[in-house]
Amino acid sequence: MGILNWFAEAGAKFSAAFLENDRYIAYLKGFGTTLYVSFFAVLVGVVIGLVLAVVKYMAVRKKSFRPLGWIANIYITIIRGTPVYVQMMIIYYIIFNVRGFPAFLSGIICFGINSSAYVAEIIRAGIEAVDRGQAEAGRSLGLSEMQTMKSIIMPQAVKNILPALGNEFIVLIKETAIIGGIAVLDVTKAAMNVGAKTYDYLTPLLIAAFMYLVVVILLTKLLSMFERRLAKSDRR
Amino acid sequence: MIDVNNLHKSFGDKQVLCGIDEHIQKGEKVVIIGPSGSGKSTFLRCLNLMETPTDGEVIFEGKNITAASGAELNKIRQKMGMVFQHFNLFPHLTIQKNITLAPVKLGLMTQAEADKRARELLERVGLPEKAGQYPAQLSGGQKQRIAIVRSLAMNPDVMLFDEPTSALDPEMVREVLDFMKQLAREGMTMVVVTHEMGFAKEVGSRVLFMDEGRIVEQNTPEEFFAHPKDARLQEFLSKVL
Repeated sequence: MGILNWFAEAGAKFSAAFLENDRYIAYLKGFGTTLYVSFFAVLVGVVIGLVLAVVKYMAVRKKSFRPLGWIANIYITIIRGTPVYVQMMIIYYIIFNVRGFPAFLSGIICFGINSSAYVAEIIRAGIEAVDRGQAEAGRSLGLSEMQTMKSIIMPQAVKNILPALGNEFIVLIKETAIIGGIAVLDVTKAAMNVGAKTYDYLTPLLIAAFMYLVVVILLTKLLSMFERRLAKSDRR
Repeated sequence: MIDVNNLHKSFGDKQVLCGIDEHIQKGEKVVIIGPSGSGKSTFLRCLNLMETPTDGEVIFEGKNITAASGAELNKIRQKMGMVFQHFNLFPHLTIQKNITLAPVKLGLMTQAEADKRARELLERVGLPEKAGQYPAQLSGGQKQRIAIVRSLAMNPDVMLFDEPTSALDPEMVREVLDFMKQLAREGMTMVVVTHEMGFAKEVGSRVLFMDEGRIVEQNTPEEFFAHPKDARLQEFLSKVL
């Protein structure tokens, strides 16, 4: 019945949850934090993930990379095998338990590290999906392993990687909703705070949900645009 | 130019090359034929170390490439062009870029020089209008001719062909073979693994027959096809001719 009542009073509730006392500013600030943390976490995740992926790729092909490959595997197994909330607590309360260390930075590091394990597997699979003959053609022309990787394999791998990577970005943005757990004021936490003041949690949470939805839709559009551009060479 | 001594290669327990000795002179056109699984592609791929031999050595222009470091090997490969059965053009790059990528990345030419060289080569192979297109827009025969051109752009001393016409529709085989014949006439040293007996007869200066990881017989094309001595070669020729 709560939901029906809510519809009857939607206008007033919305006004109380969003407009009164300039509460929209709290959402927007929180939303800004969500985007900020997500953006840098994605960056950290892609950089570490790329390194891990290349290490794993090389470990299969070169003996000297094998110990690094093991380390990468252990890292990925641990990160993927434990909950991100637990990781966040450990990073914030134990590893970066330093006075004055900003909580949002702990958040970025935590989500970045967490994401890197998934990104690594996505990138590795994307690299391995590129036809073996491509690397052979590059090497037969005298290009080094790294030059071949950079100019021939990676540009093709990106096409395989992008859809899955976009998915990972979307998951990451939504995952940051738990960052309130280490007292960072993101949009979810902001909504909860408003709810505590107005005794109505549903409206603020719907507003927050709507904001997540908008970014995800925009991001999806952006990614499909990018994919289409990359598909240019497939046209006959 | 290429000296192969006691070359062995095995994949796991399976021995693919069982001790090959072979000497290829500058300007020679060596054609390798044999049944599938005889090791002829593996042999060719050992010449530029696409496959690492299990034992034995390959000496190219006086350098032992089986003992070369990574950087030395990359240098040597610049001088050994390779053409693959499945072309292996770079699908994300235009034809022009496919040709210029390696010479520019390796610092052998500026982009402008490489572009000029690419235009000349495309002109020569009759495909100048394809420069801005992508590999997916080309026919198989066109792709293979571009792949040859891509190797030529590096000014190699020898060209290795690994079944260059096997993946082509029959009507496209000729345009590729014609281009290869043209290269042969110009004096390019060539090692060709193929099933095209006509090409072997017409272009080869020497034909090798491989079976079960060994070179069983070799001769000038005239003798090779007219008077095969080995029983396996006789049987093979009776099937393919």
